[in-house]
Amino acid sequence: MSRIQLQGLTRRFGAVTAVDDIGLDVADGEFLVLLGPSGCGKSTLLRMIAGLLPPSEGRLWLDDTEITHLPPQRRDVAMVFQSYALYPHLSVARNIGFPLRTRKRPRAEIKAKVAEVAATLGLTDLLDRKPRELSGGQRQRVALGRALVRDPGAFLMDEPLSNLDAKLRAGTRAEIAGLHRRLRATTVYVTHDQVEAMTMATRIALLNEGRLEQLGTPSEVYDAPASVFAATFLGSPAMNVVDTTVRAVDGTLVAEAEGLRLSLGIDADIPDRPVRLGVRPEHLTLTSAGGQGIRAVVTAVENLGSEEVAHCDTGVSVRGPRPLGVVPGEAVTLSARPEHLHLFDHDSGRRLAWQAASVPQPV
Amino acid sequence: MTTDEVVGESSRGRRLGGHVVLGVLSLACVFPIYWLYATSLRAPQDVYSLSVLPWPLSTASYTEAFAKNDVLGMLFNTGVIAVLSALGQLLVALLAAYAFAAWRFPLQRLLYLMFVGTWLVPFQATMLPNYVLLSRLGLLETLAGVIVPTLCSALGVLLLREHLNSFPKELLDAARMDGRSSWSTLWTVVVPALRPALAALGILLAISAWNEYFWPAMVLQRSNAVVQLGLRSFMGTEGNDWGPLMATAGLACLPVFVLYLVLQRHIVNAFVRSGLK
Repeated sequence: MSRIQLQGLTRRFGAVTAVDDIGLDVADGEFLVLLGPSGCGKSTLLRMIAGLLPPSEGRLWLDDTEITHLPPQRRDVAMVFQSYALYPHLSVARNIGFPLRTRKRPRAEIKAKVAEVAATLGLTDLLDRKPRELSGGQRQRVALGRALVRDPGAFLMDEPLSNLDAKLRAGTRAEIAGLHRRLRATTVYVTHDQVEAMTMATRIALLNEGRLEQLGTPSEVYDAPASVFAATFLGSPAMNVVDTTVRAVDGTLVAEAEGLRLSLGIDADIPDRPVRLGVRPEHLTLTSAGGQGIRAVVTAVENLGSEEVAHCDTGVSVRGPRPLGVVPGEAVTLSARPEHLHLFDHDSGRRLAWQAASVPQPV
Repeated sequence: MTTDEVVGESSRGRRLGGHVVLGVLSLACVFPIYWLYATSLRAPQDVYSLSVLPWPLSTASYTEAFAKNDVLGMLFNTGVIAVLSALGQLLVALLAAYAFAAWRFPLQRLLYLMFVGTWLVPFQATMLPNYVLLSRLGLLETLAGVIVPTLCSALGVLLLREHLNSFPKELLDAARMDGRSSWSTLWTVVVPALRPALAALGILLAISAWNEYFWPAMVLQRSNAVVQLGLRSFMGTEGNDWGPLMATAGLACLPVFVLYLVLQRHIVNAFVRSGLK
């Protein structure tokens, strides 16, 4: 198993910079998820690690070997593609054995290895079928098998679950996570699905417009988003972000805007400062109208089964156990505990942290 | 439950009318071919007879054709030309189309347009330069002289590139990740997956090479090495020898018919795909 290091990796297509100066250190056995919206450069980054695309700048290491200029077949990495990319004219057994046949391994060894991988993935009964005779989930497992059979140093996966239906996706997600726990293989996994990222990753690298927005464990990224982008990308519904002004009132800091007043729970005295205030929908509680908090009028209530989400006219959403006890048109006041409030710099959107005896600084 | 009823189905009468028109058209297409075989099977003195059924049947025309010409040899030569010309064109087209579809290189678009542009140059414009070249190479009067100038077909490149463009690029990437070279990927991944298209194009090229008359006539001149030229020997200034002429023509058509019956689906495919003829 291997460690993957990226240093200043950049890829430009003409005037467009798809991946911009990315540095990452993926530890041996780690499951790193590259997460981001469409077009954020995550697939481009993965293709550079695979060797399918040369970087415009930067360097790559696998363990202690620099692989920046090595062709894909000489890097010890296997890739699972979004479309599975199974060879349509070959049976399942021959698809799985394909990389070994390329390496001219003895026939008996290939057969044994294919049988072993097929047993791991529950494909033993399907070995003679062609890809077109398989369901989506089975194709997905064959693609995994073709990667597994090589015993590679690292696995690269490019949105491998995006072609599956919701139910199958949940099952396969658990399978891949289980496989990773068993094999402890270094994995770099690309997805735009925050659920996959949160449930599978040991660390998430959140990308935005080709740049690394935040790198951390799923809890770190969710609980302490480094920017407005990170805050609003993870979570459903997204974190509420409101333009406010932080000012000292009676020696305590409060965030204020029209119809909004929330205490930050910090005793200090600073000049007024415009900030963006974030609070997750599940951290807002409904209090009786008229108290301190966010005053809003409910416009719609969504039933999610166990929970309900209320959307308000100010663009703020509240999420809580069903029933929330509000109806559209009702005026409500929402409050949140100070530790659940996130502050972001008004201009840069970066997270602000309070440092005692100073003004808030961008981190 | 499904039925064959079509929404907005027109009346029985109109359907019948359509069938009559189609029936007449197909009769018009099939009749000359029927007449060819009918004439070839008439006794020599009945060749000008207008009776629809050739009776009594006679193989005299075939005997005469075989006596006057080496018909089997001609069929064999024509077959060699058709097969080699089709295979050669397939190979060139496959390699060129693969390069155009799988790789990115400078001036790609321009080169492709030039490649395909040769399709627009009429045969009559290249005929003389090709002839002079063959003459200098000493290839006149040889089968090689007929085959070599046909080996590069812009049509093949055009058709195969369209197929390869819609070929999933992830398969090429997967083969690279699995350790295959570009060359090995072509033969182990692309060609097997492209088999229907290659078969269709191969058949199309073989049939047009088989039916070619003008270019073999130029290169082979007075010899009767291929069957389409052999037909000439039954045409004379004092009249045509219709019986053996029809017999030889009938034999020349046979391989194409057999090919058509066996590979019907592929051939229809080939003509539909090419959007030609």
